[in-house]
Amino acid sequence: MASRKETPSGKTPDSPVKQIQIEGLVVMKIIKHYQEEGQGSEVVQGVLLGLVVEDRLEITNCFPFPQHTEDDADFDEVQYQMEMMRSLRHVNIDHLHVGWYQSTFNGSFVSRALLDSQFSYQHAIEESVVLIYDPIKTAQGSLCLKAYRLTPKLMEICKEKDFSADGLKKASVGYENMFEEVPIVIKNSHLISVLLWELEDKSTAADKHELLNLSSSTHLEKSLQMLMDRMDDMSQDIVKYNNYCRSLSKQQQQKHQYIQRRQQENAQRQSRGEPLLPEEDLSKMFKPPQPPPRMDTLLICSQINTYCQTIKEFTSQNLGKLFMAEALQGTSS
Amino acid sequence: MSRFFATGSDSESEESSSADEITPKAPGTINKQSLLLSDDEEDTKRVVRSAKDKRFEELTNIIKTIRNAMKIRDMSKCLEEFEQLCRAFLKSKTIMDKEGVPPFYIRLLADLEDYLNQLWEDKEGKKKMNKNNAKALSTLRQKIRKYNKDFETEIVSYKENPEQSAEEEEKDDVGSASSSESSDDDDDEGITAKSLLKKKPQEEEKKAPEASKFLKGAADEESESEDDEESEDWGSDSVHSGSESEDNEGAAASLAVVFLKKALDGDKQSDRKKDDRRKKHKPKERLEEEAGEDRDPDDEGWEKVKGGVPLVKEKPKMFAKGTEINSAVVIKKLHEILQARGKKGTDRAAQIELLHALAGISNENNLGEGILVKIKFNIIASLYDYNPNLAAFMKPEMWKKCLECIDELLDILFNNNNIFIGENIAEDSENLAISDQPLRVRGCILTLVERMDEEFTKIMQNTDPHSQEYVDNLKDEGRVCGVIDRLLQYLETKGSTEEVCRVYLRRIMHTYYKFDYKAHRRSLGLQGETKSEQDQEESEGEDSAIIMDRLCKFIYSKDRTDRIRTCAILCHIYHHALHSRWFQARDLMLMSHLQDNIQHADPPVQILYNRTMVQLGICAFRQGMIKDAHNALLDIQSSGRAKELLGQGLLMRNMQERNAEQEKIEKRRQVPFHMHINLELLECVYLVSAMLLEIPYMAAHEFDARRRMISKQFHHQLRVGERQPLLGPPESMREHVVAASKAMKMGDWRTCHSFIINEKMNSKVWDLFPETQCVREMLVRKIQEESLRTYLFTYSSVYDSISMETLSEMFELDLPTVHSIISKMIINEELMASLDQPTQTVVMHRTEPTSLQNMALQLAEKLGGLVENNERVFDLKQGVYGGYFNRDQKGGYQQNKSYQRAPDQRGGYQQKQGYQRDQKGGYQQKQNYQRGGYRNQNQSSY
Repeated sequence: MASRKETPSGKTPDSPVKQIQIEGLVVMKIIKHYQEEGQGSEVVQGVLLGLVVEDRLEITNCFPFPQHTEDDADFDEVQYQMEMMRSLRHVNIDHLHVGWYQSTFNGSFVSRALLDSQFSYQHAIEESVVLIYDPIKTAQGSLCLKAYRLTPKLMEICKEKDFSADGLKKASVGYENMFEEVPIVIKNSHLISVLLWELEDKSTAADKHELLNLSSSTHLEKSLQMLMDRMDDMSQDIVKYNNYCRSLSKQQQQKHQYIQRRQQENAQRQSRGEPLLPEEDLSKMFKPPQPPPRMDTLLICSQINTYCQTIKEFTSQNLGKLFMAEALQGTSS
Repeated sequence: MSRFFATGSDSESEESSSADEITPKAPGTINKQSLLLSDDEEDTKRVVRSAKDKRFEELTNIIKTIRNAMKIRDMSKCLEEFEQLCRAFLKSKTIMDKEGVPPFYIRLLADLEDYLNQLWEDKEGKKKMNKNNAKALSTLRQKIRKYNKDFETEIVSYKENPEQSAEEEEKDDVGSASSSESSDDDDDEGITAKSLLKKKPQEEEKKAPEASKFLKGAADEESESEDDEESEDWGSDSVHSGSESEDNEGAAASLAVVFLKKALDGDKQSDRKKDDRRKKHKPKERLEEEAGEDRDPDDEGWEKVKGGVPLVKEKPKMFAKGTEINSAVVIKKLHEILQARGKKGTDRAAQIELLHALAGISNENNLGEGILVKIKFNIIASLYDYNPNLAAFMKPEMWKKCLECIDELLDILFNNNNIFIGENIAEDSENLAISDQPLRVRGCILTLVERMDEEFTKIMQNTDPHSQEYVDNLKDEGRVCGVIDRLLQYLETKGSTEEVCRVYLRRIMHTYYKFDYKAHRRSLGLQGETKSEQDQEESEGEDSAIIMDRLCKFIYSKDRTDRIRTCAILCHIYHHALHSRWFQARDLMLMSHLQDNIQHADPPVQILYNRTMVQLGICAFRQGMIKDAHNALLDIQSSGRAKELLGQGLLMRNMQERNAEQEKIEKRRQVPFHMHINLELLECVYLVSAMLLEIPYMAAHEFDARRRMISKQFHHQLRVGERQPLLGPPESMREHVVAASKAMKMGDWRTCHSFIINEKMNSKVWDLFPETQCVREMLVRKIQEESLRTYLFTYSSVYDSISMETLSEMFELDLPTVHSIISKMIINEELMASLDQPTQTVVMHRTEPTSLQNMALQLAEKLGGLVENNERVFDLKQGVYGGYFNRDQKGGYQQNKSYQRAPDQRGGYQQKQGYQRDQKGGYQQKQNYQRGGYRNQNQSSY
């Protein structure tokens, strides 16, 4: 593991999408969607619409998936999407499906479900992306919107559904190169830009204070808590894998012994001129234990990685803020 | 016999048949009885002729029974009767020598052998047979094969021409033959009916009577309506046989002769008619037997009646009239009676009667104490024998008889100093009668008393403990103790050390679990006095503590078998614990080192050990040693099988794990109800001590990731309490404790107190202690102290400083106590604070990590575990690829760990490793601890 090199992510030449351009409208819609429907750890999702221009994916519109409730279990999502897109076409809006978006709670978005659905998207529509929106960070003052795609390697593995340790090793997929992040550019029409400038002029300094919030412990605690949970999962997985390895090696040993014994006996028999014992089907006698799937471990790794990144980011920012505050205090006193 | 009456419409045939059934038995039992009682009756020399008749009749009767049994395939009966027949034959040997072996006897032998062989070959039939019968069949077959060797020539000649012998027989003696002949006939029929395909020479002969009957049956039909049913029944059979006989007709010329002869025989006809009627009865019988599998119990019941009836008649004739009754005769008689002991056919009740009668006779004739002792021994022994099954318990009446007997025996022994008894006195060196020498009698009174005691336990085990009967039985316990006491006195003067040890142990076993109220009251009266005086007072009266002490110390010094000593120690500890002598009990327990090797003891001793431990724990609780109490009770309580471990009942859940046999054994191990330890009390004591330990501990280690539970069971109860959706006021003892724990967690000692000590709990638990008031006071104090500690642990972070006076007011403890508790906490580094003397306040120091820091610590710990696990995987991988066999060298991996693979990262790795090693140390420590705990648990898991 130590020998792994940091692979440049997001800039692989064979990727059809190298840049994403988002309309301000889409961002606003996503934020609004979360504000209205998502509370706490609940996740909201929706469909992105747009088109590809050369190697740039332009996302021009989106619409939310309705929240699932218990009473309409027979709600047909596909039907809904088709209807929605048809309606949008009628009003002359881009109706090409180019991906989906999802909100996240404290950055815990790397999961099996995300992998699976992104795979199916990317499998059907090659250029589709997933936008991850972090409302908490956004609330702290900086918009946090990220676009991810599965790397081609991972796509291949997912296609083959080979999640064994060997398969992953052969494909040399690590937690670092499962997802590639695609840079995002937000583009607004000029009219909107003008409006924004005007608004900024009008806004008071107090509105920007969120950025300077010094309290760090609650957020850190939450992050740590989640990191710890992942860690437990990881430990469990490792123990499982450990057990598997042990039982495998034990069996190998048994098999080896068996073969040796058989060979010895056959040699004796040969010397006595008796017929040799028939070779039996060894694989039947020693069924190899079921190897635990490694994909989950990879995902957990990746998730841990994300947590670590966010914590690192957060702490470095906070540290900077603290220093600033100290300096300010020093001058004031 | 009852079944004959039950079917009964047809009185005539019934009578005849029942007469048939009964008569063959009578001679048999008489035989047995005469063997047993008075051989003098036999006077063969008187009249030869009549004797012969008598013998022959006896033989034919038995033969008839055998044939009947053959017909109904009752092999066990067959075997029994055959044995009788052999005996009867042997007895009439003299006559046989003169007259020659009677042909009917030979005939039976031949038939029986054939019949058996045929049955033997019939594999399916054998399979259908029940076990008893199958066993009897094989034995009988072997026996008859052996037996028939003596009569080989006769049998061969009989087989050559069976009719001739039959005829001979007829001529030979008409009187007996008429009956035997008739029985023969229907016998043969029975066989042919069952196995028509069999073709043997004598079979052909059988065809003849059959055919004749067939003809005759048709004729009879008109005249006798009774026969209708019968001939219908037999119709198909006779058609078969008829056709078969047609086949054989040409070959068997003699058949016709027989037929004619039989037809001519006038008086035979009436006989046959009777037979027919009997036969009609037979199928019914057979049907009955085929229908019900319960033939055997039926038969047994039948036998018993037969056994009992003649005995009553026989009893007065114990000695022939006019015999001079002296000791020699009585001893001879005794031996005679004893010889029957343990044999299969012996009626045990009758034997006891006989022995009693014999005792009476010897008493009447003043034959001396020796004989009386001897007879008494045997009476008791046969009383014990009465129940052949060891698992079943004696009837209380029997047992009482036995107790009386032992009492009388002891009386005799006390009155006569010159009687020596012992197991080692050989039978022939006994001296029962010669009074000028010391009397020597074989037998062991101690064993008898021990057995009696065991039977008493068994009776108690098998009586419903909530019935009046149990109380009645329990009243006898005093008598048992009395007997043991007397025996103890006797053996102290006469017995060997070993015997004394054994009887002491018996005495101890009857003492250790009883609370000595007398001594208790005495000590209560003197409570103000100093301890030494109390001890003096105790030693003045002979209370149980002194007795226990004396007996146990004797055993400690004299006993050579480990078991008795172990039991004595355990009982001693139990007794100490029961009387709240905690330190003596604990010291004895620790000195004995029983904890180390109790798992090698047999289950009853282990149960006793468990009982002792529990009693020790409860004692510690009463004395306020909460920790000791908890430790002592932990093993028993944590398994959740306290009931089983204490031998106070079986758990139903593991029914499938044990079979019936095991269950029986376990049932025998149960402690009688009056010795039970109250399980609710036990659990309550355990839970309350767990609460007093666990709640402050939990409060102190709230953030400790590696916090371990002191008591799993207590936690379980807490969880159960938490899971309740709606919390009502507590009902059961457990709910009370859980509610109290919750209150204590908040430091609310008043609520806690009210939950632990209230009306309900008093009646359920606390009133069961002898010193209720002391225990309650102790408990209140403990609750206050522990609540204070919990309060400080939980809320110390809220306070900057707190005045001790406030604390002492809050918890109603006096100031010095509060001071000492807080000081202790500070010294143990449980509380980060210091005492400010002048203001009497506790000043808190902030050293506790914030929750974020705590979390970071936890994370670090988890990371350590993760890294270690990862290393293990790595290690294993290497082992796999490096070869199978050097994998075991665990230490090796640290050297050849493939840093070579990534040399540039070595530094980072090593750092990690150092960290990891530390972690490992901690981990191992923990593991060791756990293992130790587990071992402890194992040790006393019985």
